[in-house]
Amino acid sequence: MAGILVTLVIGLPWLGAIAVWQAGNGRAKLQHTLAIVFSVLTAIISLVLLMFASSEAVIQIPLGVSFGELTFVPDGLAVSLTAIAAVVGSLAVIFSVDYMHGDTQLGRYYFLVLFFIGAMIGLVLSGNLLFTFFFWEITALCSYGLISFYNDDPKAVAGGIKALIITQVGGVGLLVGTLIAYVNLGSFQISVLLEKATTLPSVPLSFIAFSFLIAAAAKSAQFPFHTWLPDAMEAPTPISALIHAATMVNAGIYLLARFYPAFESVPAWTMSVLLVGLVSALIAALSALIATDLKRALAYSTVSQLGYMVYAIGAGGVFASQFHLLSHAVFKALLFLAAGSVIHSVGTRDMRRMGGLGQRMPFVRNVFIIGALALAGVPILNGFWSKEFILEIGLEHSPVWTYGIMLFGAGLTAFYTFRMVWLVFFGTERDQLHAHRAGLAMRVSLGILAAGTFVTWLFFGGLNGLLSTTMPFHGFEHESLLEMVISILSAPATWFALLIVGLGFGISWVRMKGFKYFGGGLLQPLVDTSFGFEPVNTFVVQGVSKFAERLRATQTGELNWNILGIIGGLLVVLVVLWMGA
Amino acid sequence: MFTPLNVILFGVVGLLGVGFYGLLITRNLIKVVMVLQILIKAVILALVLAGKLSGNMGLGISTAATVLVADTIVAVVGLALAVQVRRRFGTLDVPKISTLRG
Repeated sequence: MAGILVTLVIGLPWLGAIAVWQAGNGRAKLQHTLAIVFSVLTAIISLVLLMFASSEAVIQIPLGVSFGELTFVPDGLAVSLTAIAAVVGSLAVIFSVDYMHGDTQLGRYYFLVLFFIGAMIGLVLSGNLLFTFFFWEITALCSYGLISFYNDDPKAVAGGIKALIITQVGGVGLLVGTLIAYVNLGSFQISVLLEKATTLPSVPLSFIAFSFLIAAAAKSAQFPFHTWLPDAMEAPTPISALIHAATMVNAGIYLLARFYPAFESVPAWTMSVLLVGLVSALIAALSALIATDLKRALAYSTVSQLGYMVYAIGAGGVFASQFHLLSHAVFKALLFLAAGSVIHSVGTRDMRRMGGLGQRMPFVRNVFIIGALALAGVPILNGFWSKEFILEIGLEHSPVWTYGIMLFGAGLTAFYTFRMVWLVFFGTERDQLHAHRAGLAMRVSLGILAAGTFVTWLFFGGLNGLLSTTMPFHGFEHESLLEMVISILSAPATWFALLIVGLGFGISWVRMKGFKYFGGGLLQPLVDTSFGFEPVNTFVVQGVSKFAERLRATQTGELNWNILGIIGGLLVVLVVLWMGA
Repeated sequence: MFTPLNVILFGVVGLLGVGFYGLLITRNLIKVVMVLQILIKAVILALVLAGKLSGNMGLGISTAATVLVADTIVAVVGLALAVQVRRRFGTLDVPKISTLRG
């Protein structure tokens, strides 16, 4: 039964991708319908799959000597991420009906979206590291295709290529780690790596651990690879909500959480993870303070919140990171989709031209505020519980100065969230923008996500049970919802954090009154260069392309020279074989 | 020394040598097609030999026959291209008609 469900949950979106593609761009209505049917079916199956979580592989396909076995393991971590990917995916598809209305290339759009959903689900369910890598790369390619979806816009193309290159660095990291594990263990199975990690010599284990950290940082847009996510905002907004907030960027967090028990003992690894998360959370929050592009501001805040999750893993709170991942997926998808309906309505992403839109788009304003409050960590919304949970773990298990910085980050979050809401929905209208109310499909998905923002923290106990019963290597402690609520409300960390969040709101309010909306000040040059990393990127890319130009000399176009090269290569192979034999 | 096996091996190596040498020095498109044929004949001979050595004669010969068919097509298409090239460019000199330069 579970095997059938796993097959369906990966196969259905892929089938849907082909169906939408084959329907043809002339029949937009059919394409919308097919995409919704397939994605909603996937979401329903993913929710059913939650009940069949187990630590055993449910599908085993032998692939011959070198690849081992292709297995799919629906354990707690996998099925919860599957459900997030499928549900947010289906809501993004529903939202797209209004957002992509009138687009002439729906086939390509929905094909990539559905193909992505299937690949993301495969990535988390796969029990074979090599196939995790394959799915990982498919998600990167789909992300690239969707960022560059408006391929007549040079900025979109450049953003897509940048994202592709940087996530490839991560892909190489994952592949290197996988191969080192294979050489040392003789198996690609994730369970084997988790089981035998302690028996591995320390050098290869450290290599695996740090390769995976590079992979995770590149995929989740963490320091020092944080530069690609803001540029990826050229994608259609439902894509930003789905891929660049709720699912693909979580793959890095997934990787770290999955292998935490194996790498825990590697010297300096947990500290490195902690610092990566800390630095990302801080610099992204600082960047969000002065962003003028609505989607860029949200992208910075995504990097910042992912930083919180990485920080939690570094502090040993794997479960806290997954809990925040769930909350973040819901409220950030809500924020992105709400921002999407604003952008769709007024036709610009520049917050300097918005203002006072709240009266003309009351529904969108309300759900955006709900999402923003959750992002800032205001009580009873899901973001509050998960962020406080992370901060509490940070205070207990990490140096106190790191906790202080994360607390400062929480204050910054409140500040930029308030600024965003104010600039878009309140104040005076700064430009003559034509705004219309959101369509029905948009309202449906926004409404569901807004409701989710209120209730997903109630799944704490369920998520905890799911993870602690099916993940034998992680040693999760059982904790019920009530215990979590009591421990958070009684922890001093919470009240500190609330104080800081309130302070952030307060300062923001004062600044808004003083009409200092956009001054970047000292931060501007830092943010423009992504804190000094943009020049590094440019240097690397230019170096590679200059080297490639030099290699052109070898392409003489003379047939005889090419033959000489082939014979030379043959001789080298023969010599190597002879030396080896 | 001159066992049948060795003779065939020398044949394979010799044909390969002739083929590669020809590919290295020739500039005439028709000669290119000819030396390609010689190379492929070496491969066919090697396939039969491999079939004999592995004790799987049938497989060796059938693979060789398949390659033979494919190789005939290569020859036909190659010569037809050579005719077309001669008509369009007025020459069969390979470097002169090359547009592969990077």
